[in-house]
Amino acid sequence: MSGQDAASSAAGRGPRPELFVGRAAASPQIAADWSRRRILLTDLRAVRGRAYPRINGLFREKSWVFFEILLPFLTTSAFVFVYRALQAPQEYIGFVVVGGAMTAFWLNVVWMMAAQLYWEKDQGNLELYFAAPMDLMSVLLGMALGGMVMSSSRAASVLVVASVVYGVTFEVDQWLLLIVVFGLTLSALYGLGMILASLFLMWGREAWHTTQLMVEPVYFVSGLNFPVARLGMLGALAVATIPLAVGLDAIRQLAFVGSDVALLPPLAEAGILVAMTAVFTLAARWSLRTLERRARIEGRLTMRWQ
Amino acid sequence: MTAPVPSVPAIETRDIRRVYKARPNNVTALDGIDLDVAAGEFFGLLGPNGAGKTTLIKILTTLLAPSSGSARVFGFDIERDTKKIRRIMNMVAGGEQSGYGILTVREQLWMFSQFYGMPGAEGWRRVDELIEAVGLAEQRLQRVNSLSTGQRQKMNFARGLLNDPWILFLDEPTLGLDVSAARAVRELVVQWQAAVPGRTLLLTTHYMAEADELCERIAIVDHGRILAIGAPAELKRRVQRESIFRLELDRLDGGPATLLRLPGVVSAVAATSDGRPDDERQTVAVNLVLADDAALASVVAALTPLGSHIVALAKSEPSLEDVFVELVGRGFEDEGEAPPPDDGLTPAVPQDAHEAGEPELEDVV
Amino acid sequence: MSQTTPPAVPAGFGPLRIPGWAGFDPARPEGGGLRAHWRGFATAVRIGWATEANWTDPLLFFIYSVAKPVSAALILVVMLEVIGGASSREYRSFIVVGSALWAMVLSGVAGLAWSILEDRERYRMIKYVYVSPSIFLVVMTGRAVARVAVGAMGALITLAVGVVLLGVPFDPLRIDWLLLAIVTGLGLVAIVSIGVILGAIVMQTRQEAWSYPEAVAGALFLVSGAVFPLAVLPFAVQLVGLLTPLAWWIEGSRRALFPDGISSIGGPGSAWLELSGTVEPSNLVTVIALLVTGAAGTLAAGLAFRASERRAKDRGLLDQTTGS
Repeated sequence: MSGQDAASSAAGRGPRPELFVGRAAASPQIAADWSRRRILLTDLRAVRGRAYPRINGLFREKSWVFFEILLPFLTTSAFVFVYRALQAPQEYIGFVVVGGAMTAFWLNVVWMMAAQLYWEKDQGNLELYFAAPMDLMSVLLGMALGGMVMSSSRAASVLVVASVVYGVTFEVDQWLLLIVVFGLTLSALYGLGMILASLFLMWGREAWHTTQLMVEPVYFVSGLNFPVARLGMLGALAVATIPLAVGLDAIRQLAFVGSDVALLPPLAEAGILVAMTAVFTLAARWSLRTLERRARIEGRLTMRWQ
Repeated sequence: MTAPVPSVPAIETRDIRRVYKARPNNVTALDGIDLDVAAGEFFGLLGPNGAGKTTLIKILTTLLAPSSGSARVFGFDIERDTKKIRRIMNMVAGGEQSGYGILTVREQLWMFSQFYGMPGAEGWRRVDELIEAVGLAEQRLQRVNSLSTGQRQKMNFARGLLNDPWILFLDEPTLGLDVSAARAVRELVVQWQAAVPGRTLLLTTHYMAEADELCERIAIVDHGRILAIGAPAELKRRVQRESIFRLELDRLDGGPATLLRLPGVVSAVAATSDGRPDDERQTVAVNLVLADDAALASVVAALTPLGSHIVALAKSEPSLEDVFVELVGRGFEDEGEAPPPDDGLTPAVPQDAHEAGEPELEDVV
Repeated sequence: MSQTTPPAVPAGFGPLRIPGWAGFDPARPEGGGLRAHWRGFATAVRIGWATEANWTDPLLFFIYSVAKPVSAALILVVMLEVIGGASSREYRSFIVVGSALWAMVLSGVAGLAWSILEDRERYRMIKYVYVSPSIFLVVMTGRAVARVAVGAMGALITLAVGVVLLGVPFDPLRIDWLLLAIVTGLGLVAIVSIGVILGAIVMQTRQEAWSYPEAVAGALFLVSGAVFPLAVLPFAVQLVGLLTPLAWWIEGSRRALFPDGISSIGGPGSAWLELSGTVEPSNLVTVIALLVTGAAGTLAAGLAFRASERRAKDRGLLDQTTGS
């Protein structure tokens, strides 16, 4: 027994093998035969399990307040002052503030979803996920939900502080539609994140670099600080393919009623988001299955240093 | 409540092969493995690094597909019934650094309990039980990234028991642990198996003593092939059929030749110096070779009439490495032909600078 | 070198004998001095170049040296076009140049921090680097230098795109090369020192720290005068900018490349005007200010890194791996 164990034992806290309890099932065949209800519950519980470290770990690293709220607020402020230097109308300040808040979700998708399975592989967790009976989609979904919670606190903080400091006034006519569009934007964003998570794992280290392509270039084509309609055809293409672009455009229209620079009506953009969510989720499922198949055949996707 | 031991074999493999296409040459990690492990057995795979042990365990735990051949775990096919196998098995590897550093031990284990579908409250209860069982009670609220290596491995072991598996795969579970931590893990393994009949374990290791101590049967593996299977004693008898003892007596009139006349004694020669200076030695040491252990009784009985008393008696047994050498013609550490890469995976020379550290493997053959 | 007679090597240990070994050298623990540190730095630069430089991979070259910096500039250009106005052309030069220079800032700030994170989380080499005789900070800075070079390439490409495609007026004959060389050298030191401070921070934090360099660069964006004159900011915030070496570096680079352009430090309503009485700083003042603020920043960076190193050693963080 190790020194630590000896000390524990002396204090009555050493190993207690009598707790290795017996099992309930009569045979491995019975134990392996799960009902559909049990399979579903397992997948749902796996979602909860994987979201747990992100939600509960949110406040354990004290630096988050500085790096994930204050600094992004300052970054947003920089763009606010660009518009002030240009003597832009006040509504453009509002655009920047909303864009700044939404970057929290985008960066979370890029760093904490797209690259996450790759890091899980490095940590050695990915093998354990593959060896467990739940659907790997549950893991991705748990990551997404946890990520949404993580990012919401940051986004809300930036939105509130920047709105107060820079005097942004929101004019909302359709609160329900705004909330629905926001929810759809998140679901489309994280659906994209789920695809990217498995694609990035398959691409290996190239994918790590591709996350870099997803920051400034995506900010540009999504109209982070300006109405995407100003980009013409490029903007239209972005709205059709990038959840951030279409979501931002719709949210801005609903949050600042009367702003006349938009690509499509909010309802149409909500429809696009619904389609994106469905497509991305199905594609994520397909890519995960492909990933698992390739992982088992090639043997490298789950193992560190491979 | 205990269930009867299943009659279905825990593991059955038929001609399992696994080949990787890698640069500069293809790597055959497994070259026709036939294995049967009965339910309730503690089975060991013993072999040097690169023998294919981990590759085989990855196939059996459904993480890797074989290039050819078939395998079943409790009757479930590893390619068609992967989900079913995952519900009844678990695995613990040595040297694992998995886990989320910011979570506590308790939280980390509970998270995994959710992956096995346990209701939340039951998961916490089971986690607390297992933490007590493995002796991590004092560390339950400690963050994972602050655990020592031994504590971390106990946590990994607890994770491996969360779903009360019918078969537990242990891949070098004591790798990197100090002597006492390794012993603690081995004791836990033995106690866990003993608690319920029918629990099956497959252990891979390159530590001879570990395999010898724990396993009921061992397969010696090298270069992707099984060289021999049997109980440890059985394997050792391949190398040495007689029983060898070192006998130290206070005196022996007539010298070792006196013992030759006794039944069952094959040879008796004076033992070589044990390092002490001659003038310090007060005893007579004899290396005895007996036909079998039973002959020892007659030797001991004969000593008293000779006026000799036993000072020390030790049995000399061949080690499993002796068995390996006998089978292969080299030791675990020796370089014979070019050794295979670790478990059949050759890191290729990176083509691009940014790929340094990222070995490349192509499609399997 | 010591003249101690080497001890006899026991039989059978021939291969373990180091060829040419002449016995233990008592001077060895003293180290190799500056030369050894330079060698460590140069080796780290080569490693950083080998792992980060993208010259042989068109995709990576495109990502880091073209797409990222040009997109950042285009965001601002479109913001400018959205508002329009007569002064937009002149201001376009201002923001394109500032954005181009910012590509170097981002690379430099991220370089050392990412090197530490990679060595800790991915390659698990950090403890081996740390226990080697080389100075840890020197080695990590060497690793980061390659990223700065990548950023510099991005800056040049963005400037080229600005001149060729975005109508930025540029006259090579009017460039003040001496000023450019001085401010570039001093500016690089300032950029790397910010990277060192960030590196000191990430040594203490967990894996999400990958996004911290961009967050820090984004915040510095506010007070550097990169994309708008400091005069736009509240007075107190302008003072922060005046104490930042990056603001002086950007001002000096603009003055060298576009001598008649808009000043980011001075101008009507600026704190500079109020404090100095001059509309904008001269070249000499710019260089001196960059030197002083850069030196202060470098000193602060060294102290911060040393303190962080000590704390990391005290808490066993040097070889930790984190993850979430």
